[in-house]
Parts: sequence; C-alpha cells; structure tokens
Amino acid sequence: MGVFSFIAGRKKPTPSEVAKERLKVVLAHDRLKMNPELLELIKADLLTAISRRLEVDDQQLQLHMAREDHWDKLHADVPIKRQKISFEWDPPAYTPAANALQGNKVKVEVERIEEE
Amino acid sequence: MDSRVLTITSGKGGVGKTTTTANLGTALAMQGKKVAVLDADIGLRNLDAVMGLENRIVYDLVDVVEGQCRLRQALIKDKRLPELYLLPAAQTRDKNAVNSIQMEQLCQQLRPDFDFVLIDSPAGIEQGFRNAIVGADEIIIVANPEMASVRDADRIIGLVEAAGKPEPRLILNRLRPEMVRRGDMMDVTDVLEVLGIDLLGIVPEDEMIIVAINKGEPIVYDKHSQAGRAFVSAAQRIMGEEIPLEELEDVPTLMERLRRLLGFGPAMAERRVRS
Repeated sequence: MGVFSFIAGRKKPTPSEVAKERLKVVLAHDRLKMNPELLELIKADLLTAISRRLEVDDQQLQLHMAREDHWDKLHADVPIKRQKISFEWDPPAYTPAANALQGNKVKVEVERIEEE
Repeated sequence: MDSRVLTITSGKGGVGKTTTTANLGTALAMQGKKVAVLDADIGLRNLDAVMGLENRIVYDLVDVVEGQCRLRQALIKDKRLPELYLLPAAQTRDKNAVNSIQMEQLCQQLRPDFDFVLIDSPAGIEQGFRNAIVGADEIIIVANPEMASVRDADRIIGLVEAAGKPEPRLILNRLRPEMVRRGDMMDVTDVLEVLGIDLLGIVPEDEMIIVAINKGEPIVYDKHSQAGRAFVSAAQRIMGEEIPLEELEDVPTLMERLRRLLGFGPAMAERRVRS
C-alpha cells in the first residue's frame, strides 16, 4: 500500500504524506539495519517456501518495510497464479487420521475456485 | 532535595536545543524552581549568549571538572531570576576534554542545590552526546517536523534506550501551522506516530525567537509570543501539571483570507472533490 497506492492512486499525495511514507520506510530500514540485499535474500526464501504449496508469480512478488502501530512490519505482496496446483502434504500429528497416515506423504490436488 | 536532571538533545544540529534549554530553564525558574542550565557543547559555547550572560563568564565546565575552580565559582547567576544559574561550556577546548565519569560526578555535585538541572547536549551521537546523557534522569528530544530531523531523533531514541534511560519525551519545534494545513508539512500526529514517544510540547515557528536571541532575552518573557507560551506550558508539564496543548493560531495569508471570505476555503474544496 502506501507508496504503491500513490502510483496507482487517484489523488496526488501532499508533501507531508510523502514525507511520512518515506520516513516510515527509511526508519524501518534504519532500525533493522535492513539493506536491499538482505531483502532480496528474504524474497528468495519466501519464494522457495511458498512455492512448495502455491504457484506464485515470482516477478510480481513485492517486499517492503513499514512502521505501523509502533511495530516494524515487513509487508509481502505475493500474487498467486490462478491455476491448478499440487503439493506434497506431510500430515501433522494432530490430524485425526494421522496414525493411519503416519510417515506417508500424501499427494494433494487443489483447484482454485474461481469467483463469480 | 528531590532533584531532576534533564538532558535536551536532538541528534541533528540547528533544530533548537539551545533555545529550548534556555527557555525551559527560564520558565522553570519563573515558576519558583531552583534551576541550573549546563552547556555541554564544549568548544561551541552558545547557551550563554542565548541567555544574555556571555559577558559574565570567568570559569567554565572544564575548569570545574579539572579542579581549576570550585563549582560555585563557575556558576553564573541569571540577570533577572535569582534562582537560575548557568554553567557555561569551555570555548577553547575540544569535546574530549571531559569524560562520562566526570560528567556524571558533576551532575551529582549539582543535585543537592537545585530542583532542576538542564543539560544542553551537543549535536551528533558521539562522546559529547554520551557525556550529556550519562547523568540524566530524563531525556527531552527536540525535533522539527521534517525528514532529516525526525530520522535523527529516531536514532537518538534508540541510543537513549540502549543507555538504559527511560523513554524520552518530544518537543516538536518550529512547526508551521499554515504549512501543515496546506499539507506541506508533517503534523504532530504524523511525527508521534512515526517516533512512538510521548509529547512534551509543540512550539510553533516564531520569528520573535531570533529577536529574543539577538537581545539575549529568552522568549518566555514575551507574553504575546506563541512560542514563548508553548515553552512555558512545556515547563509546566515537566513539573507534572496537566496542561492541555494550546491551539496554534494560524495566521492566514491575504489570499487565503480572501478565499475563506468567498467560501473557497481548502476544507470546502476538499469536500467537493470527495463527493
């Protein structure tokens, strides 16, 4: 949101809004000593993790730092491709049928339900 | 005596630390408190001039620390207020002339005789800044509503926290209400949201401050000055009084006055855009 909504936005932000948004970003980086290289590494990690479950558009994945409600937050925008995906499911121990499935990986097929 | 040591700091230079120290010190003394203001900006002595006491200096902070004189000999009595004293910075020495242990001892030495000790910190985050906060009970951060100042203030908040001091409070200095209204300057709420600390006061930009410094007479003596009144309120809040934030008068320009008269105020224009 923030900076990005201004680009796509309807109304030009005032200089004070620009200053506040830029400050939020720069302070979040200052506080976490976060640099663009580290952000790229996290992006790669996220892609690896999410790609195990979902097919995502790695070109469109956006990461940015922001300061909200006294917290430094890492925002990730991960566009999911609308297509059938499949992944290996390792049943967790709390699943009722876990005993029966113990140790067996299950192939799960998911089809995204298109909205009307 | 229950004495409090407060350090006024900012990170960035030129945001109004010295002016704030002089005015808070004067305002506290006007309320009948015993106050010492201490210039910790060694090599760049200025608090004396802002208070109009530059002609009375014999000894300075470094002389006291090095034992060249007694503390009482170096303390300069204010012209007007009998319970206000200044300990000036050395002008011919550099900021490494004093170390943290000496500064802490100096604060302890001042405590028995004063209700408030106000320390004017140098800009930056080096030894001079560390010396200024080492003996402090409370930290006041002065910031202007612009990016560089707020960013530096955030660094200072982190360093104050790392030094084991309580969370600092903010004086937002040189706010320009007409710029805030136009959307050209960040408002108090914006700065507080970004920094996440409590507010001690808002001081509007006021050209009378320069006049006051030129005369060597703190602005708190000027009852008509908005900035002066804001510093008095901040001093009362330091004393624990619940003083509401004053409404900042925003002096409209001729064009704006005309527009308002004709009913084309900014608020109305915005409403029209939204509907």
